[in-house]
Amino acid sequence: MPPTMPQAPHKDDLDETWSFLESGINSVMHKLEEGVDMKHYMALYTAVHNFCTSQKAVASNQGLQAHRGAHLLGEELYKLLGEYLSRHLSEVHEKSLAHSEEALLAFYIREWTRYTTAAKYVNHLFSYLNRHWVKREIDEGKKNVYDVYTLHLVKWKDDFFENLHAKVMDAVLNLIEKQRNGETIEQSQIKSIVDSFVSLGLDENDSKKSTLEVYRHYFQRPFIDATRKYYENESRQFVAENSVVEYMKKAEARLEEEKARVGLYLHSDVTKSLTETCLDVLVTAHSTLLRDEFQILLDNERQDDLARMYRLLSRIKEGLDPLRSTFENHVRKAGLAAIEKVASEGENFEPKLYVDALLQVHTRYQNLVDEAFNGESEFVRSLDNACREFVNRNRICKSTTTKSPELLAKYTDSLLKKGSKAAEESELEEMLVQIMTVFKYIEDKDVFQKFYSKMLAKRLVHVSSVSDDAETSMISKLKEACGFEYTNKLQRMFQDIQISKDLNANYKVYQEKVLDDDDRRRMVDAHFQVLGTGMWPLNPPNTAFSAPPEVTKSAERFQKFYFDKHNGRKLTWLWQLCKGEVKANYIKNAKVPYTFQVSTFQMGILLLFNETDTLSYSDIQKATTLAPEVLDPNLAIFLKAKVLLAGPDGAKPEPTTTYNLNYNFKNKKVKVNLNIQIKSEQKVESDDTHKTIEEDRKLLLQSAIVRVMKSRKKMKHVQLVQEVIQQVKSRFPPKVPDIKKNIEALMEKDYIERLEGDEVSYIA
Amino acid sequence: MATISLMSSDDALVTVERAVAERSILIKNMLEDLGDSGEAIPIPNVNETVLKKVIEWCDHHKNDPPTAGDDDDNRRKTTDIDEWDQKFMQVDQEMLFEVILAANYLDIKALLDVGCKTVANMIKGKSPEEIRKTFNIQNDFTPEEEDQIRRENEWAEDR
Repeated sequence: MPPTMPQAPHKDDLDETWSFLESGINSVMHKLEEGVDMKHYMALYTAVHNFCTSQKAVASNQGLQAHRGAHLLGEELYKLLGEYLSRHLSEVHEKSLAHSEEALLAFYIREWTRYTTAAKYVNHLFSYLNRHWVKREIDEGKKNVYDVYTLHLVKWKDDFFENLHAKVMDAVLNLIEKQRNGETIEQSQIKSIVDSFVSLGLDENDSKKSTLEVYRHYFQRPFIDATRKYYENESRQFVAENSVVEYMKKAEARLEEEKARVGLYLHSDVTKSLTETCLDVLVTAHSTLLRDEFQILLDNERQDDLARMYRLLSRIKEGLDPLRSTFENHVRKAGLAAIEKVASEGENFEPKLYVDALLQVHTRYQNLVDEAFNGESEFVRSLDNACREFVNRNRICKSTTTKSPELLAKYTDSLLKKGSKAAEESELEEMLVQIMTVFKYIEDKDVFQKFYSKMLAKRLVHVSSVSDDAETSMISKLKEACGFEYTNKLQRMFQDIQISKDLNANYKVYQEKVLDDDDRRRMVDAHFQVLGTGMWPLNPPNTAFSAPPEVTKSAERFQKFYFDKHNGRKLTWLWQLCKGEVKANYIKNAKVPYTFQVSTFQMGILLLFNETDTLSYSDIQKATTLAPEVLDPNLAIFLKAKVLLAGPDGAKPEPTTTYNLNYNFKNKKVKVNLNIQIKSEQKVESDDTHKTIEEDRKLLLQSAIVRVMKSRKKMKHVQLVQEVIQQVKSRFPPKVPDIKKNIEALMEKDYIERLEGDEVSYIA
Repeated sequence: MATISLMSSDDALVTVERAVAERSILIKNMLEDLGDSGEAIPIPNVNETVLKKVIEWCDHHKNDPPTAGDDDDNRRKTTDIDEWDQKFMQVDQEMLFEVILAANYLDIKALLDVGCKTVANMIKGKSPEEIRKTFNIQNDFTPEEEDQIRRENEWAEDR
């Protein structure tokens, strides 16, 4: 026989059963640390079971409950348990009055832990009640009946928590404030309080689920309010006593700290409202102050502080918007200032200087956007706007926006021409990429195209490209940026050169067959390039020229060869672009004969001296048929280099002036380059280019107008202008009067006609 | 393999594997709350014979997955009983009811279900008279009462 088997109550005696249970619950509630013994545990469970299944109790209630079939007992026990808990909690409340602040928190947590641990036990002891009476009540939709564990929580909330939460929260908030002030606190206390508040959120409809309502209402709200007040005060004071930069550091640190606080002892549910509150008080409230500092930080290039400002303002709604225009203005001014500096150094600056100035500003602020503004697309857009402004409109291109593309094209030419400084291929490629960066901002892309193709033509004709790869790379970059049409001609030019190489090889073979010995002796070693008229920006020679017979012979032979291959084509000899080398065998005191590198025109002049040592100006002119504009400067070059000597000495080029071959010519180099471009030619060329741009734009506008009208047949005048702008703006920014003028022109040519109501229509 | 002892109402000690005993939620909760002290667990409402019978069932079913609870409609709707359980329940009526009561007390849901289904199968398809005979129930209705009940339940009759 076990000695201490507790005396079980009579199963149908409520009073006896309850007093037995009450003493058991009491020891669970107050003396759990002493342990509960198994026999008591089983006895208590059994007492509940036996009471709920007692026959007599069934009989006494039969009449009342007949409608729901089998009657389940337990209501009395449930009620008595509830009353017991209320009594217990009111005692606890009594005791709590003696405590405040941290002591109160400790008390609360101690009692809460004791109570909920006991609740778990009692819930198990009463599990028979849960399984039958409580379950039935809940199934039947009774409100305010809970399983025994939940009953404990409900009682705690109603009978204890309701009376005490304000005091508890005050203590919690004081503790948090202490921590914000830099003191060390017992964080786990707050964590326990949070957990308790969360546990008390019961779902009315499902006791198994919990809601955060209690926590939100009693914890979160006062906590957020206190946070707001705390940081309002702190930030106001801090700003008054410190610089904006210092304040940003403080605000950022505080935001981090509060974020960490959630992880340390708060419920994650608070994150959003806590963050919003902090941002509101720490950032939004001071956003004007921060923004006012932006320009100062930009001026001083304080990248870290700018990044900090970006991070702060990016977190509030529309926080950054006002900064963007400030930034755009700043970059534009920086760009203009850089160009101002270049311009101040006089008219004749290197294109490189100009492009470098543009790039430097762009690179600096591109870095800033990447590093400080996280590469944010809106700032990138502001940067682009600013760059477009100062690239197209600055001191140097004050009169016309076409100066920028011209300089950029010239710079590109300087890189792609032989003898440029960028020797390394990778370095060159990088510079081409940079050129494209500027190119992107150029509005008059057609101007760039014009100059570029001129210069490309020269590089190709004179075989002065630094490398084919670099040329191809540049063309494909342009193609990527502007499409096939933009680079079509450039590509065709490039192709012509390739084709010409094959052509020359074939010609060599042909020549071998047709030459006789005499020919062979007098033959000139020649290389020919056949360039498509439509593709190349080249003009026929502006002077008549009788080529020397040696050259003419070769040219005619090639022409015959070419026409055999391509019947019906026309060849125009571009003498002004041809060049060659002549050997000066007449100079006696040279060990190795000098070689003169000369243009074909110069060759025409020099070869005349094979027959005689002295010629008059009129003789030369008659023999070469060169126009004086060409002849005079070339003669001047010969005089300057002392290849020819004028008679009388220093005579102007007049019909009577004579020119003598200088047998005593001397030079340090064996190869002497006399093929120097004449200054006036350069100027004329540039002016020509600008003129053709205007012509081409007219054509581009007219073809755009026709294209639009052909597809639309009929449309409003205003609309037509808009569409045309859309179509051509990737090439250049058209002026509305120009478009109108071209519409008029097309009307005169009967492509379109004016209808009533400001409409125009296409004439098929 | 951890074992524990149970003490029946008639003071008999029964040793059983802990996992088997924990088919009873009562015992499971208690061991969780108090820990295993090594003492025999008193089972004041179940005698040795019934306790052993219940343990036999628990032992057979010790590897069953935990019951899915009341929401498991299949378990509730069907009166099918697996073969082993049918055989297990082939006992006299008194024993059957003792097992059901013990299952209810010890909180062994699956066993309680099997017991109740067995009783349900004993009722299924029988007339009131036959049922009374089966369970040895005295008819305490007056003929008038009985007539009224029959009329109220007419809708449910098999026809």
